[in-house]
Amino acid sequence: MGSPVRNKNNGAFTIKCGLTNSGDSSSPRLVTNAVVRSKGDKATYIGHEFDRCRDFSSLHYRLPFEKGYLVDWDAQKAVWDGIFSEEVLRVNTTESSLLITEPYFNLPNLQEVYDQFVFEEYEFASYHRCSPAALIPYGNLYGSSSSAPPECMLVVDSGFSFTHVVPIMGSSIVWSAVKRLDIGGKLLTNQLKELVSFRQWNMMDETYIMSHVKETCCYVSTSYRRDMEICRENPRKNDIVQEYILPDFSANRQGHIRKAEDVGETDQILYMNNERFSVPETMFYPSDIGLQQLGLPGAIAYSISLLPNDVQGMFWANIGLIGGTTKIPGFRDRLLHELRSLAPIDVEVIIHTAADAMTEAYKSALAFARSGDFSSYVVTRAEYQESGSNASRRRFKDWKSTDNEKCPDPYPRKGKAPMQESDDERISIPTRGGRARNRTGPSGQRRR
Amino acid sequence: MPPKRGRPRRQVQVEAAAARAHIDPELIAKRTKRHLDELERSNYTESSTLFASADDEDQDRGPAARGRARQTISDKREHGRKKKSTMNIRTAVLYRKNLATLIDESGIAALPGPTYLTAAVPPPNEPPRLICSVCGYWGKYKCKKCAMPYCDLNCEAVHDETRCERRVL
Repeated sequence: MGSPVRNKNNGAFTIKCGLTNSGDSSSPRLVTNAVVRSKGDKATYIGHEFDRCRDFSSLHYRLPFEKGYLVDWDAQKAVWDGIFSEEVLRVNTTESSLLITEPYFNLPNLQEVYDQFVFEEYEFASYHRCSPAALIPYGNLYGSSSSAPPECMLVVDSGFSFTHVVPIMGSSIVWSAVKRLDIGGKLLTNQLKELVSFRQWNMMDETYIMSHVKETCCYVSTSYRRDMEICRENPRKNDIVQEYILPDFSANRQGHIRKAEDVGETDQILYMNNERFSVPETMFYPSDIGLQQLGLPGAIAYSISLLPNDVQGMFWANIGLIGGTTKIPGFRDRLLHELRSLAPIDVEVIIHTAADAMTEAYKSALAFARSGDFSSYVVTRAEYQESGSNASRRRFKDWKSTDNEKCPDPYPRKGKAPMQESDDERISIPTRGGRARNRTGPSGQRRR
Repeated sequence: MPPKRGRPRRQVQVEAAAARAHIDPELIAKRTKRHLDELERSNYTESSTLFASADDEDQDRGPAARGRARQTISDKREHGRKKKSTMNIRTAVLYRKNLATLIDESGIAALPGPTYLTAAVPPPNEPPRLICSVCGYWGKYKCKKCAMPYCDLNCEAVHDETRCERRVL
C-alpha cells in the first residue's frame, strides 16, 4: 500500500480526518463541518477556518447535513476543498485512496453524488464508503487488537443528528434490525437553548455557547426522581446546581463553571439546575418532548428482539457506545441500569466504551485502512469510469444488499419480480437500464 | 335590563367551558410536530438570515455578478486549484434539494427491505410523563386552554402570562 490513504469520518457537525501514513498519531484532525458566519468578526469561516474565529456570539451556521443526510453539496464542497488543500491535509487526491463514512440508510441518489464527488471532482485513485459502525469490528472498542472481535456486537452510535442501534453479526451489519432514534446532539442543544431562553437569558441565537454549556454541565441522571426533588427543594443552592459564567467575547474570555474563588461583579451567570440532567434525559424518554419513539434502552431491547433467538444473549453482552453524544457523563451507567431491567434474567449485559467515543470510528477506520485487505474493498477510478455508480453499488455492502446472503448472485435485484424491476429503473444508470431494455425487447415481440 | 342580559352571558360561559374541556388531539399533535421541527433547526432566525447573509456578501460584486452563473460558497476559496467541474458536480452544487424531496426522488418507499423510512424506533407503550412546561418539575395539572402541563400555582401564573396559547373559544 504505497499510496497514502485519506480517512474521513464525515460527521454531520464534525469531520474527523487524517492520513494513514502520518506516523503513529491516531488522533484525527477535527474540522467543523459548517460554513459559519460570525457577526462580531464580520467574517465567514469555512470548515477548518473556524479555528480562527474569535467572537462566538450569534454565529450563523450553514450545515451541509439535514437530519443526518448530506443535502447542501455547495457547503460540503467548500469544506472538503479546504480539507484537501495545503492548509489541512496537504494531499494530492489523484494519487491517494479515500475511506469515507456515510450515514446509515444513506439514500441511493445521494450515494451517487458521493461517487461523483470522489471521482469526478477530486479524482481519487480509489475509495471505500461505508457507515461508521461497519468499521468498528476493525477497531479496539471490544478489547485489544490482538484478540479477534466478538462474533456478535451491538453498536450504539449517537451523534449530532440522530442515534442508531446497529447490530453486527460476523462483521456485517444486520440491516433489518438497525433502528433509529431521532435524537442527537443538535436536538439536545436546541432543547437546552429553549429551556434557558424561557427561564433565564435569551440564548436562542447562541448555539455555540449553549453547546459548550451542554458539554460542560449536562449529565445523565441515574435517579431522575431523586435529582428532580433535590432541584425542587432549593433552586439556587443545592448539590446539583452549577453557576455557569457566560463568556465575555470583548475580553476574550471563554465561558466556564463558577468556582468558589471567582467573584466578578459584572459576570452574567447562568444557573444550570434541573436543566443539567433533564436535557440528556430526552434520550431515555423521548416522549418528554412529545417525540413518539421508545427511549434508547427500549430501542436497544427492540433491536435485539428482532435478531435470531439463539444469539440474542451475545448481543446483550457486547454493546458498544460510539458518537459524541454518548460522552455525556453518566450515560453508560444509566443505560446499563435500564438495560439490566429490560434484559432476560439469565443474560449478561456488558457495555463497552471508548476512551474518546467521538473519534472511535475514526480510529477503527485507520486500522481498517492500514490492514492488508483494504485494497480489495475499494472501487478504483478506472472501475468508476467504466461502469459509473454501478461499480460502487456492487462493491460496497450497505443496507440495499441485505438479500446477498440468501442468493450469492452478484446482481440479486435483477432476478426479482417485474414490479421491483420498474422501481429499480428510477434510480438506475445507463448500464442497468440497457440490460432491462434488452430483456423486454424480445418478450414484447413474442406477445405480438 | 340586567336580567335580560344575564341569561345569554351564562349560556356563553357554559358553552365555552364545554368546548374547553375537550381540546382536539390533532391540534396538540400539530403543536408537538411544530416544536420538534423547531428543535431540528440549525439557526433560530433561519428564514430571514438565510438570504440576508447570502446577499450581504454579494453586494460588493454588483448586480452583474448576479446573473445566470450564481456564485457558490465553494467558489469563494480557490485553494490553488482551477479546474472546471463536471456537469454532475455543478448540478449538485447549484441545485440544493431538501431531504424530503431527496427521499421522494430516491424511490426508497417502494423498496421491499429495510430503509430510512422503516428504521425509526416504534412508539412507546406507556403514556408520556407529564413535565411542567415552565420549571421542568412533574406537571400534575394541565392548562384548560391549551393542555400544557404545569406543577403549581406559581407556574400556572407564569404559563398563563407567557406560554398559554390563549385559544379563544
